[in-house]
Amino acid sequence: MFRGKLLAYAAAALVLSTSAWAQGKPKVAFIPQLIGIPYFNAMEAGGKKAAQAFGVDFIYQGPVDTNPVDQLQILNNLVDQGVQAIAISVLDASSLEPVIASAKKKGVIIFTSDSDAPKSGRAVYVAQARDDQLGFTIIDELVKRVGDDAKIGIVSGEATATNLNTWIKYMQQRVKEKYPKIKLLEPKYAGGTAQRAAQLATELMTANPDLKGIIAVASTTCPGVAQAIETAGKINKVIVTGYCSPNTARAYLKSGAMGFTVLWDPAELGYLTVWAGKQLIDKKPFAAENNVPGIDHPISYDSATGVLLLGPPAVFTAENVDKFNF
Amino acid sequence: MVLACLAATIVFSLASPWFLTIENLTTVARASVELLIVSLGMTIVLAVGGIDLTVGVTMAIASFFVGRALMIAVPAPLAALLGPLVGIFLGAVTAGVIVLGSVPPIVATLGLYGVFRATIYALLGGEWLSGLPDVLAPLVRPTILGIPSVAFELAALYVLAWGVFRWTPLGVWWLAIGGADAASQLAGVPVRRAKTAAYLASGLLAGIAGAFYVAQYRNVEMTTGSTIALDAIVASVLGGASVTGGRVSVLGTALGVILFRILQNGFVLIGVPSLWEQVVAGLLLLAVLATENAAKLRALVMAR
Repeated sequence: MFRGKLLAYAAAALVLSTSAWAQGKPKVAFIPQLIGIPYFNAMEAGGKKAAQAFGVDFIYQGPVDTNPVDQLQILNNLVDQGVQAIAISVLDASSLEPVIASAKKKGVIIFTSDSDAPKSGRAVYVAQARDDQLGFTIIDELVKRVGDDAKIGIVSGEATATNLNTWIKYMQQRVKEKYPKIKLLEPKYAGGTAQRAAQLATELMTANPDLKGIIAVASTTCPGVAQAIETAGKINKVIVTGYCSPNTARAYLKSGAMGFTVLWDPAELGYLTVWAGKQLIDKKPFAAENNVPGIDHPISYDSATGVLLLGPPAVFTAENVDKFNF
Repeated sequence: MVLACLAATIVFSLASPWFLTIENLTTVARASVELLIVSLGMTIVLAVGGIDLTVGVTMAIASFFVGRALMIAVPAPLAALLGPLVGIFLGAVTAGVIVLGSVPPIVATLGLYGVFRATIYALLGGEWLSGLPDVLAPLVRPTILGIPSVAFELAALYVLAWGVFRWTPLGVWWLAIGGADAASQLAGVPVRRAKTAAYLASGLLAGIAGAFYVAQYRNVEMTTGSTIALDAIVASVLGGASVTGGRVSVLGTALGVILFRILQNGFVLIGVPSLWEQVVAGLLLLAVLATENAAKLRALVMAR
């Protein structure tokens, strides 16, 4: 009888102490726009590596399709669970503000990564590269290849994705300021499927026989648009580019359907995101230049806009694509 | 339905000089391949008064196996055959749940949709299949007299299905079950076997569509096929299938798919902003159905 009680108390003490110990490790979460795609998988891998390096628990959960409502639900769930810092790659910027406000009351810090909601009160935006540089680089590189008076089409993914729309806006700005003779067509939205992207790309080429280039803005549209060029037999007549991962683009870079792609290392972005989460939990402010253990170059922070910047965009071509695996 | 297609064709060819070109019509045809195949399966399932929301993910899983086979250098014909095989297997699972489990088709296929989608996520493991070897091109590239051979293959498939509905006992059973399930059973129709055949057919066709998808697009993402189930239902209903079963039109389904793709294609050619495309397509769908219903109503009134 006495032994039973002793065992019960011992068990209770064990459970409480382990849960107290478990609570000791801060939790950082990241909610991507969509789970199961190579880009966000790489971010997850980077996040896990950082979690190990910095001693945090990393939670990775996301919607199964690019649905902002599902994403917000996951965010609310994590807030209720008491995760201390939650990063989100925003699908719909307009609905984030009230969630952030109520999360602050519960002591939960919400920040953005990969796709921003600038006016929502988020703690920081971990940016892969500056949005304007991403838009400018892709236009500059494409104009180098198609000439400065060509017609260029845009195939995007979801019409509400902040990051995609921001890059398109900067593309349009660059064309207006630097290449006035370039005709940049209105973007077409393919949703999330390669089939629709291929169909739209083919139809753009049909409607504009003098089309010289197509920009595939969402990574899910990359294979579809590039394949459309090959199927139509227009390799070297129409150059495809986009924010595509080297693994997806490899075959098309080598066949010539894709001229180049512009991106950054998503694993590094995931790593930086978790580091930023830990800094926020520890209430350590960001310096103008930060040395992050595990990243080989200093990370700059702009306090006016609240942007933590990973670095300049990288350009992948047939020559260098084999050096990367994501 | 024929009138609607003709009307759309006329409108678009007047509005855009590129619509009625061989190149553009080929584009419409190519974009319709998987939808035509899957819609045929959906028509069969609708005939028995059921529905199959799993066809999209079934197509995706079939595509995955075809793609993986290509990646390990399995000869093209064998790899292509994997598509329908996987499709039949998944169709059998669906049939099992609906027929053996007596679960209402919409609930069953909705649940299985979730299971199959988790499966494709797990199979892909976050790595898309991209830039697959082009060896399945003979499925889709060859042309006979300028018309893609796929058109003839699909026409043959549709004629076969039409024949089944018209002349074989199975077809009669399908329509009977859709029209009056309990009455058919009492009349001696092998309801369970016929329903199983319907879902097997739907799965088989989705698997075939998967092989064609890999041939055309050379990639498999987890979003592959995500929109096709609803599109197939729209096409079948546009074509004259009754949602409650018992009445279908195989030719109507084909025309429904073609009208759907013509609309999508035409809108891009005349420069309708992407976002308006869905609004206009939805309104046109309602308009076509309303006029057909109005005609039926008028015929009913006249008959009195």
